[in-house]
Amino acid sequence: MGNKQTIFTAQQLDSYQDCTYFTRKEILRLFDRYRDLAPQLVPLDYTCQPDVKLPYELIGSMPELKDNPFRQRIAEVFSDDGEGNMTLDDFLDMFSVLSEMAPRDLKAYYAFKIYDFNNDDFLCKSDLEKTLNKLTRNELTEDEVRMVCEKVIDEADLDNDGRLSLEDFQTMIVRAPDFLSTFHIRI
Amino acid sequence: MTSYSNGGFFNPAYHDSETLEIDRRSSSKTPLHTNPYARGEGADGHYSTGPISSDDALRRVPRGGWQEESWRGRESLPMGHISTRPRSPSWQHDINHSTFQIPPDSQYDRSLSIRLPSTTSGNMTMRRRGITMRRMSMFPNGDPNHVAFTEDAIRNEMDIEEQNLVKELVALSTRDRIWAIRDLPMSFDEKKQIRSQVLAFKSAKKSRQFTCFADCSENMSLSFRRCGYGIRSARQTLELWQGIMKEIGGTFGTSVLSYFVFLKWLLMFNIFSFLVNFGFITIPQLVYSPWPNISPNVSFRGLEILTGAGYFNNTVMYYGGYSNETKVHLADYNMQLAYFFTIAVYMVLCGIALIFSMASSFKTNYVLADPASNSAWQLLCSWDFNITNDKAVRQRKNNLRVQLKESMSEKAQRERITLSESLKHFGVYLGAWLLSTSLAVGSGASIYYLCQFEQQRATDSANWSLLQEAETLLVPFVVSLMNLVVPLFYSLFNKFEHYSSQRKQIYALVVRNVLLKMSILAVLCYNWMNVVAVKFSCWESMVGQALYRLVIVDFLFLMLGSFFGEFLSNVIGTKLLPRLGVPEFDVARNVLELIYAQTLAWIGIYFSPLLPAIQILKFFILFYLKKVSLTQNCQPPRRSGRAAQMQTIFIALLFFPFFVGAVSMVAFTAWSLTPSEHCGPFRGLNSTFNVVEVWMVHLEETSSSQWVVWIYQNVIRSEIFYFLISLIIIVIIYIFWQVTRGRKLLIHVLRQQIVNEGKDKSFLLERLQNLQKSHPDKRSKQKNPKKHSKRRPDDHSSGGQSTSNAMVQALLARQQLEKEEEERLSTGGVPVPSDISSSSALIQAMQARQRAEGQERDEHYSAGYYESPTNTSSAVTQAMQARQRAQVEGTDDASDPTSSVSSVMMQVMQARQRAEEEDRPQWVPAPPQNRASAGSSALIQAMLARQQAQNEYDDGY
Repeated sequence: MGNKQTIFTAQQLDSYQDCTYFTRKEILRLFDRYRDLAPQLVPLDYTCQPDVKLPYELIGSMPELKDNPFRQRIAEVFSDDGEGNMTLDDFLDMFSVLSEMAPRDLKAYYAFKIYDFNNDDFLCKSDLEKTLNKLTRNELTEDEVRMVCEKVIDEADLDNDGRLSLEDFQTMIVRAPDFLSTFHIRI
Repeated sequence: MTSYSNGGFFNPAYHDSETLEIDRRSSSKTPLHTNPYARGEGADGHYSTGPISSDDALRRVPRGGWQEESWRGRESLPMGHISTRPRSPSWQHDINHSTFQIPPDSQYDRSLSIRLPSTTSGNMTMRRRGITMRRMSMFPNGDPNHVAFTEDAIRNEMDIEEQNLVKELVALSTRDRIWAIRDLPMSFDEKKQIRSQVLAFKSAKKSRQFTCFADCSENMSLSFRRCGYGIRSARQTLELWQGIMKEIGGTFGTSVLSYFVFLKWLLMFNIFSFLVNFGFITIPQLVYSPWPNISPNVSFRGLEILTGAGYFNNTVMYYGGYSNETKVHLADYNMQLAYFFTIAVYMVLCGIALIFSMASSFKTNYVLADPASNSAWQLLCSWDFNITNDKAVRQRKNNLRVQLKESMSEKAQRERITLSESLKHFGVYLGAWLLSTSLAVGSGASIYYLCQFEQQRATDSANWSLLQEAETLLVPFVVSLMNLVVPLFYSLFNKFEHYSSQRKQIYALVVRNVLLKMSILAVLCYNWMNVVAVKFSCWESMVGQALYRLVIVDFLFLMLGSFFGEFLSNVIGTKLLPRLGVPEFDVARNVLELIYAQTLAWIGIYFSPLLPAIQILKFFILFYLKKVSLTQNCQPPRRSGRAAQMQTIFIALLFFPFFVGAVSMVAFTAWSLTPSEHCGPFRGLNSTFNVVEVWMVHLEETSSSQWVVWIYQNVIRSEIFYFLISLIIIVIIYIFWQVTRGRKLLIHVLRQQIVNEGKDKSFLLERLQNLQKSHPDKRSKQKNPKKHSKRRPDDHSSGGQSTSNAMVQALLARQQLEKEEEERLSTGGVPVPSDISSSSALIQAMQARQRAEGQERDEHYSAGYYESPTNTSSAVTQAMQARQRAQVEGTDDASDPTSSVSSVMMQVMQARQRAEEEDRPQWVPAPPQNRASAGSSALIQAMLARQQAQNEYDDGY
């Protein structure tokens, strides 16, 4: 409490705290992080809700995302325009989902979106191939990629439709307890 | 609840749904490129092959589908979809009942309404869009004529749904509501919108009540909430080592980080125990007699810091430094009782905390863990989003590649293991186990003899010479040396064994280490309780000193261990033998060392109440030491093991042999051993526990609080009570065990059901394909519509264009049935159990399907008879469509059953009619149309509907 800040109004802070998993302090810290990306673009006064959007190039250069193979997908999924350009709200939303407090369902939902490269609500073979290539720097042969993807679908596809739906994915996540700690970015 | 879900029923769009659906299909001959809304379809990103222009439409795509999917996710995970918080909002379920009623057609149009600036509830539209995604893809071509017709209906529907959501949220308590809003998979703006609506609704409701009171309570709750947030903020500020944790996680990943998290957790334990002991035992002692009676010839020599003897002997560090008096100053303070109850309560609290963290860890991490889906896990769950270091990312990618390759070759290898090889493996296991067990037993035995040797030399005197004092360090030195060296041998054995999985390898290592540490600790405890307790006059202090020495020397060896274990092997690996490479941080070994250290502190808490202070210091330094050693010497782990499971195992280990062992040791001391006669709080008593008896006698005399005495006599001291308690607990355990077995069976059945569903689906598709093959000439006529569907890179290609319309009709009939069941449920107000209704729907649909299959056979047969076999099924579709259109327009066209409809097909139709409980429809022949694409999508949609019904059925279970 104590220290006065004029970046947000009390109501804004309340709504941020109610809609994300962050505390006031973390919200202010994230605002600083956001502002550090482009100090000349982001005003210090957010009480009148300025319409500021940082381009993907800036968001993707954050140290937390810089080396992440999925950084572009993450930015796309969480940005309002689907192209990775983020407002402060999107930014908070992203780190809220990736925070420690977010429940498994929410994390699984967004992870599914991140892996779903073609946005068709299913993880099909092409999505898996893309994921695999991102994770292994294109160093597997085509045969190997195909084999791995087939195996993944074989293991996780419960209803045998040759692709993974969100339910399949969630079932898998429930059995992979590490997911909660790995799908997590510390601020 | 039911009143909310009526929304869809009262909506006119619902009644028109079937009509619209068929109508659109009839209009789908409109070529795609001329459809003014086709672009919108593409822009939905559903089939986004090229660059997408309409970003306005696209931006909602990632958010879409939350309702349907989250609902289905919840419902379709019967095997214990664990939600950590008891607040899974019930409204999700309800809303989806209403979305189920949304006509697929209107959903397409709904996506249109987004682009209309006049849409009142634009934000909700975004949310709803997701639901429509799949269905839209099945009906690619919308009918522009109906846009105007349905728009109002859609808007109504949207408003109702939004209100439902808001109403449900309002009904929740403030805390639950905040959590529910947070858990909505929507963007922040949408959440904010919902939140403000809920708040507005709430305040509107409140204003009707006593305004003053409402205002007051509103303000109160707001300030309470702000206060709560403030406390959370403050607690985060106090959190230790956040930056370091982030750094470690960023470079080494979660599994290494788990060691540091564990270390921090143990540190918190010790801080708590230090505060308790210091506050309730040490401070009173210091207040009443600030200076211990140190004999004047004892001076501080420096070696005490290592040995804990001499100068420290009579201080509050050890048991012997405390008095047994009842201090009478401001208030009575009975040191005996304080000492006893502080230690007891601390132990109980520790046990509870351990049990809880172990149970929650087991619940989330271990129960459902399934080693079978390894590749899927590796690909989709193993990437560590924590990692922010460029080098670490590269290494991790490499490791993943190697692991994937290994797992592929492993499969091939496993089959080639011959009998002789497996015998050889078995021999190696046996040898390794024998060797490691004998090593553990041997070290235990050698410590036993060493202790005996030491006891013979040791004398009971307060002022040892320097040499005598240094000699006491021999035992802790040997113990720590064994703890350091023997595990290295174990690691060596491990290299020669060929375990099929890494997990087994780690478990074997852990079990051996635990055996070693247990045997050493058991020998030491035996020695303390049977030899030291008899020989020395103030034996508790002697034991306390021994533990102090063990803790200190163990700390020194931990430092040495990280020097040898990590620094030296780094030097060897980089300079001398590059083949070995940079070492990895061995989480298992390090965590076991921590557990061992903590066990020493737990045992020592009775004998040396301030030992936690030493432990705090030790862990604090160790944290930085390990951090430096890690960043300087180690590389990220090559294999990304399942860290969460390992952590569960470690907590379990900490609890089971170690904590339970420490507690039983302390309990044995308190109940059975005679406290020393000339020092400590319990001097003059037969056993420590006698304190309570004395207290009770005292209480009985004063007769101030009889209930305590009563509890003591009838509960603590009565065998009957414990007998009954254990009996009840055993019964409860048995019941829970049976329940668990039942659940397991249920899980098995449900899993089987899912597999059957999949088989059903593939069977149907196969049938469809066969059917199409049997009508080759049909294909030629379908060329034109096929072109349309091919233009879209369809993911549902397995369903593809091979469609039997009869089948489609059967499925549609079924879908219709289900819809009606829904409707009946929601409108009738009678609480029909969902399993009954949906099972009847299932049965009917199964019948329809059987008929369809029968029809299929007939169709094969009848193909030869008809001049144009293509018409058999297409005509039916057309007839259906025409019929629907006729219904919508309210015209009664003359029936024309002369078209070549097979009799079995008629049966399907009848089944459908029965289901609909409608008047006999009119049959009108119509020109062939784009039924392939529409049909296939309808089929898939019908299947989706069936899955939903199944889900509900499962839910009712």
